[in-house]
Amino acid sequence: MTPLASSFRALAVALVLVASVAHADTLRRFALVAGNDEGGSGTRPLRFAREDARKMHALLLRLGGVAPGDAKLLLDEESRDFLAALAELEARAREAQARGERTALLVYYSGHAKDGSLRLGDSRLPFEDLKRRLSGAPADIRIAIFDSCRSGALTRTKGARRAPAFEIESGAARDARGLVILTSSAADEDSQESDALRGSYFSHHLASGLLGDADRSGDGRVTLFEAYSHAYARTVADTAASTAGAQHPTFSYDLAGNGDLVLTDLRASGEGLLVPGAAPPGTYYFVDPGGMVVAELDKAADVERRVALAPGTYRVKRRLPDRLRIGEVQVQRGRAAVLEEARLRDAPFSDDPVKGVARDGGAWWTLGFSGTVQSFFDAPTRDTLFLSVGLLGVEAQLHDYFREDWVWGVDAAVGGKQAVLALPTLAGPGYRYSVASLGTTLTSEWPKGSLAPFVGARMAYLMMRRDFQDEAFPDQKFAMFSPGLVAGVRWNPLPRLHVTGRARAHFFQYTVDEQRSLGYWELGALVTYQP
Amino acid sequence: MRHLALACLCLAAAACGGDFSNDDLEFLNALPQREDLAVKLSAASEGRSGGGLTTRKDGLVVRLGEASRVSGDTDKTGREFNGAVDGLLSLLENIRNSSPTSREPDRRVWGPFKDKDHPRFDVRFVMERRELRFDYRLEYRRTGEGDDAWWALLMGWFQADAGIRKGVGALSLDVKRATEETFPVGGLFTLDRLDIDYQTKALPTRVEMAFTPRGSLTEPTRYMYREAAGRLGEMRFTLPDIDLVVGGRLEDVALTTRWAPDGRGMGVLEVLDGDIKGAKYTECWNALGRVTFLARSWDFFNPTEGDRGSCADFSALDE
Repeated sequence: MTPLASSFRALAVALVLVASVAHADTLRRFALVAGNDEGGSGTRPLRFAREDARKMHALLLRLGGVAPGDAKLLLDEESRDFLAALAELEARAREAQARGERTALLVYYSGHAKDGSLRLGDSRLPFEDLKRRLSGAPADIRIAIFDSCRSGALTRTKGARRAPAFEIESGAARDARGLVILTSSAADEDSQESDALRGSYFSHHLASGLLGDADRSGDGRVTLFEAYSHAYARTVADTAASTAGAQHPTFSYDLAGNGDLVLTDLRASGEGLLVPGAAPPGTYYFVDPGGMVVAELDKAADVERRVALAPGTYRVKRRLPDRLRIGEVQVQRGRAAVLEEARLRDAPFSDDPVKGVARDGGAWWTLGFSGTVQSFFDAPTRDTLFLSVGLLGVEAQLHDYFREDWVWGVDAAVGGKQAVLALPTLAGPGYRYSVASLGTTLTSEWPKGSLAPFVGARMAYLMMRRDFQDEAFPDQKFAMFSPGLVAGVRWNPLPRLHVTGRARAHFFQYTVDEQRSLGYWELGALVTYQP
Repeated sequence: MRHLALACLCLAAAACGGDFSNDDLEFLNALPQREDLAVKLSAASEGRSGGGLTTRKDGLVVRLGEASRVSGDTDKTGREFNGAVDGLLSLLENIRNSSPTSREPDRRVWGPFKDKDHPRFDVRFVMERRELRFDYRLEYRRTGEGDDAWWALLMGWFQADAGIRKGVGALSLDVKRATEETFPVGGLFTLDRLDIDYQTKALPTRVEMAFTPRGSLTEPTRYMYREAAGRLGEMRFTLPDIDLVVGGRLEDVALTTRWAPDGRGMGVLEVLDGDIKGAKYTECWNALGRVTFLARSWDFFNPTEGDRGSCADFSALDE
């Protein structure tokens, strides 16, 4: 394709957009947004599918012209719930059509897809059934966006084309009617998530584009084609160097008539951030207080750009070859803030406000506190020698370093209690029993959604001592290495918070009075934070 | 790399083990401590002026309100009693402060060690257990001799009855054997044996000490200490050749003194032989050690003085 041809196509798209604007205001929009981290057997849980759905739902309500009552958000729901919600929106669309309104139905799904079906938890929704359903849906325009592995199979049978190589019939004057399907990856590709972005590449760039980065025309509106071409280019670029290889979103349409569809109106809510034309060109990143990149903006010289950020405080970052330019901007409700270059300052790369620096698919670590109950199996031993005690400790874990889903941890814990000795010929001396434990554990996890059962092995070094109040009895101590097994479940209720429940069983060789093979168990809970 | 692994293994092995042992505690519990055997004199008697046995030669001429000589005798004898106990138990101090050298299910051995105080001798301490009874021996041998050369300077046993050092026991010092082995015995050379029997499992507790003089030329000198509930104490001992009253003979007397924690006390002196054989003298004193009551069985005209009601209640020691 020559540069001239490319420019012509861009112009054609722009003309289409202009034509569509007049209709956007009269279009009744319905949205079904679903996210499911689970994909049932044979799949690994996703980390950000639900979060992607939440973000997309909020964005459509705020900027996409979708009334709250016309939107459905499904998180971790199954296919029957998905179809039920779709049926409800279809019914409403049908009623709206009966009243003469033009209607659009947008379906967004982030989650698993495999073997020709969407995988909503343990349930499945075959691609063909869904396509048939969407094709017959009572809305003038049906837009389906699938951010899932191998979702390109949805477009393969109907002229899937890789953007920006799609074409629009520019000669037609009537409104577009029909079905458009966007998928995050080709039929033989996985869709990739990013720890740094805390979402999938595709959904992140789609959302970022809808917030303004995709508004190449600068008219304050982001059309479906703008959003898609933006998401395509950025997704391919970001995933090109990944171990899984480049991910190529796909696009298909079956439209009668012509015309693009405005997906978001950047001025709809009034609030946002204006980047003046005088601001230096480059890529701007807008980071929320949690360190997450909410939007990006690729700004050209002397072009004013607008990013429809929600009210809040953001850190702004622009990367230069040798340093960063960073600053803070406040977006107030209903008002557009202006980014002033003078309020940015130079900063070294080490001050990058973007968190989540873990390599995608790479190792990550956690640090936390534990509470454990330790008790020996042998009753006389736990009554008179090594007592049952509670332990408090700290623990650090390294995930996915040696191998995916393997966790290596190191831990230290201390505990103790007051006790009174009761032996056959000696009862009554009071003493304090103390235990200190150092351990290292290697476990293998089987993540299932937010839960990850695990088993593994542990080597502990136990140090026990007892200090008698009566000086007639000497303080005593004992130390021994202790191999053991561990099993439990790690729960990930929040993106960086992990709660683990576990049980351990250890072998323990006692060597003082006699050689005795003992064993003890531990039940514990661990709360860790992923920095 | 192989050396590193070996070093790590050695380090790990060195970091294992310890002295965490219930049996050790039970063995140690069989050894008496000073608080089990020593006479617990009343705190009020500390620094109190009083006579000793030597002043007794002036006879029993005591008046109400004067310092009780019996009280003074008791304190002095109690301190001597405790000195003997301390001397005996000092031999066991090193055992308490170190872990056994070898452990078997019913046997512990400390040593053998070179005896720093007696360079020509090795020393070891052996304890054996049979159910609730523990036997122990402090043994010596000349350095370089074999296992059959060990001889016991100190022997003891303890029948445990649970509780902290609660039970019945005895220990003895075989000075005669030590002398035969040319083992330095210091100030004990006048003795053949020193024996202590005790029971601490129930009140009143009892500690009995017997000094057997060298050559057994005279009867052993015996002291007995008992302690009852309420920290009431009692000592019994005999005193030979005391000139209690004017007459041609000296008296052998048995003295029983009892005292309360507040310092009050009672002494009963029975004449075993002499001019007034069979006579009995009783004296009570207050917290200041001053006589409040006295009774002389041989004095027909003035058998008692003072108020008998001023005497403390020591019935807990009558069991």
